[in-house]
Amino acid sequence: MDDPYDQYPEDTDRRRFVKGVVGAGALTGVVAPAASMIDSLTAPPGAGGGPTDYMGIEKTGGPAPRGMPQIPLEYDDEGNLKGIWPEVEMQQVGGQTVPIAEMELGGKLYSTTWYQYCGSQNNPAIEPDADLDNTIRYTANPAYDWQSNQVEAGDPVRAEHFSDYDGWGNVIGESGIGKPAKVTWRSTELEPRDRIPVQLIRSPLIEEAAKDDEWLEASTVDGFIAIHNQCTHFCCVPGYKDPGQTDAMAYGAGDSIYCQCHQSVYDPFTIIEQDFIALPRSD
Amino acid sequence: MNENTNTNDDRTAAETAEEAELRTDGGEASETSRSSSELRTDGGEPSDERGPSSELRTDGGAITPADDDSPSFRERKERTDGLSRLTYEYFERSRREDQVLRDDSDYVERDVLGFPAWPHEMIRNLSITSFFVGVILFVSATMPPPLEAPANPTSTPAVILPDWYLYWSFGILKTQALNLELAVLGGQTIATDRTFAVLLHGPIIVMLFLVPFLNKGSARRPVEQPFWSAVGVFGVILSFTLSLLAIKNLMAARIPIWTSHMQLWLSFVLPFIGATIAYAVLKSMREGYMYDLNRRYYRLRPPR
Repeated sequence: MDDPYDQYPEDTDRRRFVKGVVGAGALTGVVAPAASMIDSLTAPPGAGGGPTDYMGIEKTGGPAPRGMPQIPLEYDDEGNLKGIWPEVEMQQVGGQTVPIAEMELGGKLYSTTWYQYCGSQNNPAIEPDADLDNTIRYTANPAYDWQSNQVEAGDPVRAEHFSDYDGWGNVIGESGIGKPAKVTWRSTELEPRDRIPVQLIRSPLIEEAAKDDEWLEASTVDGFIAIHNQCTHFCCVPGYKDPGQTDAMAYGAGDSIYCQCHQSVYDPFTIIEQDFIALPRSD
Repeated sequence: MNENTNTNDDRTAAETAEEAELRTDGGEASETSRSSSELRTDGGEPSDERGPSSELRTDGGAITPADDDSPSFRERKERTDGLSRLTYEYFERSRREDQVLRDDSDYVERDVLGFPAWPHEMIRNLSITSFFVGVILFVSATMPPPLEAPANPTSTPAVILPDWYLYWSFGILKTQALNLELAVLGGQTIATDRTFAVLLHGPIIVMLFLVPFLNKGSARRPVEQPFWSAVGVFGVILSFTLSLLAIKNLMAARIPIWTSHMQLWLSFVLPFIGATIAYAVLKSMREGYMYDLNRRYYRLRPPR
């Protein structure tokens, strides 16, 4: 203000006061509707979610918050590999009758809410009462040479396709740890966008671990383990010994499941009990 | 105060009378305004005899001191209002010189405010529009884009990146090593790595919003304000290092000694190093550069 060339008058207290009131009013007018809009947008619209304990593979690196859930397996009557889907019951939850698919399996409570994250909660394949084909089937355009050469997309997975599982290997990681395949589950009748990505591995390590573990004994067969293959970080589909993912080696993930998006690493041979907040299915 | 120097002989008496009503040519002030204020801002002719030293001179007179009159460094330092005063005098002088040129010229000014929208502006705009529409049609006809296969949600491409201008944001998502396990939280992190990385966008976006308010100075060259230039250099380098962080897995796969950990720390250390160097260089350049700049602008003479 001691600049003699500045000829503007000073702000009066009254002017500053009015400015403050107007500013505060404008701020309130913006913030209040925005807050109520965010509140209504983020309110859970459906039912059937909440805190969930699940069995899944361990996350060993990267920004993902937790491991990916496992899909329990069994053989059907024809010897094809099949994912277990629990019987559906109608239960009263919070005054609403909702279908819930859960069962006791290997000493744990297996529920289909395990897969309700990353938008899968709205996938028709994850609806508890959806009557779908539980057979594990090969996908089209797999990452593995053996899969594109020896089997067709849509074929059911059989143990004889994996007879060389204790010696199989490719350019990624060590050989003999496990033979992988890209498969889907409950997705035959669905649009491509609704198909469930599943990583299947048949491994001698799993076969060994299942001998003295109640859960693994109930959820794996002949060393086959299936993982719901959606990264818990931002929902990419990771790979296991994917020959396109040479950067997995730089992260010490040659024998692990590696997500190429943000370098999350999961160890598919360490299955632990974990928990997360399952997202509710939309109505 | 001074004589009217603007009167041209070829002007009619009517024009002169009209001008007396509305003077915009920086000519002689009317009797009333002259008596009401001593402050002349119309770029009038400087008077021969100098007023008392306390009087405010705004007519740009004597902006360039005579050789024997040019101030020493000490005298310049004592003038605290030097820059604003010099600026003011400089503009007043320019205005006066313009006015003199205008008065001397025989160019007749007309009140032309712009061109009519039709046809001038419309024809020009239509021709420009047609040109670019033509380019779009030509490019799309000669190089039709391929129709790719539909997206497959059951597999993610091996190299997955956003558009290049979002690499910095993608790089921030890979900063989980910065999400420290705090002793006060019992070895827990404040938020999950995922939430933390998203929240880390906040400070950067807030900084971008603050840019117009950070420094409202009139400097137009980095040397004039080394500190704020260094802040800018920090931001530029950070945007590059964060973008490189987005492709850290590709770099790690191709350069064996280049670990992700090294790259993460370099991403945040390099901006500081760059900013420090920029500050040091600009600061040392400033003395000489500013002198030269002032000399050009204000026609100062070197000190005795």
